[in-house]
Amino acid sequence: MPQRKEVETEQPKTSTEENVYAGVYRVLLAGMLVSSVLFAIGIALALLHPAFFPLTAKWVRGHYHALWVLHGIIRGNPLALMMAATVLLILTPVARVVTSIYAFAVDRDWKYVAITSIVLLIMIATAVAGWLGLR
Amino acid sequence: MLYSYHFALLLLGASTVAGFFGALLGVGGGIFIVPAMVLGFNLPMKIAVAASIVSVIATSNAGGSAYVDQRITNLKLGMFLEMFTTAGALSGSVLALYLRESVMALIFAVMLLYMAYAAFSTRNLDDRRIAAGEFAKAQPDRLTGFLSLGGTYRDLAAGRDVRYVVNGSFIGAAIAYVAGIASGLLGVGGGVLKVSAMNRYMNVPMKVAVGTSKLMIGVTAAVGSILFFMAGLIHFVVVGPVALGTTIGATVGTTVMNRLHSVALKWLFAALMLYLAYGMLVRGLNAAFHIHIPNFG
Repeated sequence: MPQRKEVETEQPKTSTEENVYAGVYRVLLAGMLVSSVLFAIGIALALLHPAFFPLTAKWVRGHYHALWVLHGIIRGNPLALMMAATVLLILTPVARVVTSIYAFAVDRDWKYVAITSIVLLIMIATAVAGWLGLR
Repeated sequence: MLYSYHFALLLLGASTVAGFFGALLGVGGGIFIVPAMVLGFNLPMKIAVAASIVSVIATSNAGGSAYVDQRITNLKLGMFLEMFTTAGALSGSVLALYLRESVMALIFAVMLLYMAYAAFSTRNLDDRRIAAGEFAKAQPDRLTGFLSLGGTYRDLAAGRDVRYVVNGSFIGAAIAYVAGIASGLLGVGGGVLKVSAMNRYMNVPMKVAVGTSKLMIGVTAAVGSILFFMAGLIHFVVVGPVALGTTIGATVGTTVMNRLHSVALKWLFAALMLYLAYGMLVRGLNAAFHIHIPNFG
């Protein structure tokens, strides 16, 4: 076998990078499990009482009340459960980004703290833009 | 819309299959679930896109977490490209609020055709590149060197550790932005664009590209979802079965995926794309221009 010359470019994974992996993995798994359970309960309850639902944005937005969602979850309203699951699902990647920023900060890897913070800022900007633009 | 056993269970079943295929092929389930909702369940395009983009987060969580756990994902590369995919997703989802549904269906058909083409044009290269050790030989560019974006992963199909150097950061970032637009506008993960960008232009092995793209897809799809949620387009009773089904399908699909060679997947993938592209074309042309072409179901 001829000796093959290879360029060493990347460092071995540090223990903290392992922490980033572990943290990201836990966030993804938790978000997936909890939202799936909520969706499953919501669908099962909805199937018990088949009903008509209007397919309009106005009808959907009519349910955006924190108190209604809270009451609905306690009473087992399928719509409230599925809404909570949806919100949780949307927040999972946001939580993942926040976790990553924290893990990179612990490692003092400022380049990646900056990169990941830009991603978080774009997410926040989207929420603000949606909130202001669509009222 | 009547929320019956029939509707909910069929939608759950269709989504499970879509999620399974999505995970097997390294694409979000959205590519299959949007046409399924529009063509099979006659749901409005925007409701379908919004439900799909939420389910894409679920697929990304399910698929992505497994890749992260197996250390196939390149987290740093993912986070670098996420800056561009999220910016694109914001542009795309704002566009989706204002475009007509028929136009969105036509754009969807074009995207499916491109993806079928991409599958054929990148066919069969990866196994050879791994065998020749090509991934480790490339030179990093200034930015990827500065950000130390290289890595190693364990390839079960090839039975060895594969080391790779990342380059092509500029074109990768540009394609990531376009993939973000596609994600926000069409309710897909944009995974095919991201995977092909990483695999073809950034010297990233296919499986790492797939795992990294899954992780980015979640964040990208979250941006689109946030905007659609504010707009009231995410209909809970539709999103429930779709998200649950794709999660189940993606979880099963991901466990199978790392044991398969990439070649057979791409053929299956391309055939399905062509079939669905035709369906969306029929739907879009009919609604936009009243042009009728025969539909094969």
